[in-house]
Amino acid sequence: MDIKNSPLSLDMAALIRGLKAGRALRGLRSVAVQSTLSPQCNNVRRGFHRAALLRLASDSKSDTSVPPPSYHEVHTAGESSSSSAQGESSEGAQSNTSFQDQSGEHGEDYETEEQLQARILTAALEFVPQYGWTVETIAAGAETLGLSSASTGMFNNGAGDLVLHFIAQCNAQLAETLAEQNNLVQLGQAESKKTAEFLKDAVEMRLRMLIPYIDSWPQAMSILLLPHNIPDSLKHLSTLVDDIWYYAGDRSTDVNWYTRRAALTGIYNTTELVMVQDSSPDFEETWAFLDNRIKDVVNMANTAKQVQATGEAVVQGLMGAAITLKNLTGMNQRR
Amino acid sequence: MQRAAKCALRLDLSRAFCPSSVRNCPAINKVNDTVLCRRYSVLPPPRDKEEKAMLDSMLRVDHAGEYGANRIYAGQMAVLGRTQTGPLIQHMWDQEKMHLEKFDEILGEHRVRPTLLLPLWNIAGFALGACTALLGKEGAMACTVAVEESISEHYNSQIRTLMETDPERYTELLQLIKEFRDDEIEHHDTGLEHDAESVPGYFLLKTAIQAGCKAAIYISQRI
Repeated sequence: MDIKNSPLSLDMAALIRGLKAGRALRGLRSVAVQSTLSPQCNNVRRGFHRAALLRLASDSKSDTSVPPPSYHEVHTAGESSSSSAQGESSEGAQSNTSFQDQSGEHGEDYETEEQLQARILTAALEFVPQYGWTVETIAAGAETLGLSSASTGMFNNGAGDLVLHFIAQCNAQLAETLAEQNNLVQLGQAESKKTAEFLKDAVEMRLRMLIPYIDSWPQAMSILLLPHNIPDSLKHLSTLVDDIWYYAGDRSTDVNWYTRRAALTGIYNTTELVMVQDSSPDFEETWAFLDNRIKDVVNMANTAKQVQATGEAVVQGLMGAAITLKNLTGMNQRR
Repeated sequence: MQRAAKCALRLDLSRAFCPSSVRNCPAINKVNDTVLCRRYSVLPPPRDKEEKAMLDSMLRVDHAGEYGANRIYAGQMAVLGRTQTGPLIQHMWDQEKMHLEKFDEILGEHRVRPTLLLPLWNIAGFALGACTALLGKEGAMACTVAVEESISEHYNSQIRTLMETDPERYTELLQLIKEFRDDEIEHHDTGLEHDAESVPGYFLLKTAIQAGCKAAIYISQRI
């Protein structure tokens, strides 16, 4: 793809070319090993996307004279220092700064592509009860922000992006709440909970975030089970479980680290499944199920400890018997 | 102040929920004040995911290494504990226990995942220690020499990596690793002093053990 010769003409052809180039570059980026290559490709891709989006926006809030990034500016945006890009494009409009300048000092119009995607997906969440976890939802969300529904082209993964964004948001919210509670406990303003109670409360808090979307949640779960979504959903799940155990006070550095997280993952997943087909008022059955599962795990842990203690006692008994035998037969003396 | 309270709280919670992790603080306190009782963190707060991943993998493999060394000495003590070399091995074992406690603390504090193969290193380490001790005192010393040489080489390469990246940022971590490396070299020299080289098949034994250590380091960095 020849950067120099592609015109940035403002029509549908340009949009399609831009999106295709974006996809090609994304593919290129996934192959390229050197990190120096990706910021450049990223920036060119962002340039195309941004140009395309802004041109097609019916009601662009950023129509305060943001000319599309010219080749010169896109090229200089690929340079490492933002100051040089700013220097060179200082004659241009105010927001033609380097794409690496994330400070936002140059006006609220400026944001990264990730931030824009996040805003669209967050806006799309309110349409989930209406359209489910689909690309139409994202389109509806984009329209509320004044962008064209064609901006769903930004989301390669479609509905998967929406579900993963929602999950990440819920996990972040949970981590924040747990951190605040932890602070209060350390400042002595709150009592620390026992592990079982803490786990129950944390899982319940997290599952309650699903309640507004519970009717369409099976669809979301099936999206997460698609092969290309599995690595990401597992990553989010493991972050969630790690956060909950960390704030529950787990500092283990042996195989317990793994068994605890595996147990909590099992509890969380099964409770989620129970929740989607629970029709009791305020999901009482789900919380009862959760309580029972946590009790099971605690019992198992206690049983394991008891078995270990018994085993050690038995071994000691056997050793004692063996030494007694050696003494009796006179084999224990040093000659 | 809050750090000390946090430390105390964490120790309480740890004692209640995970008895196998952080244990006797007084034991740590008495041994080496400058390194082990600092109340500030050894690692800088990570800048980004790559740095966290790099530090995680370094600490994971160090923790696995100390855990393995701990088990090797345990195996040696099980066989040679009541002989003349018992006290010597016990002394080296105590130092390794200190190192392991320190790494346990760091892993818990910085939410580093321990390696999944810890049970394997448990058994393999104990078996290696016991088997080489069955070859006699020289065998045990030869095993010590081989393992400590591998470990100190590994620590040296980590020190090199950190120095190349940013020595100022990792000052405390570098200091810690240098101290542990010096301890390991001391163990290596002790082993040599106590007739490690006079075991039959010393070269073969040493090469085999070092190959095993290299493989263990490689795997623990990833898994």
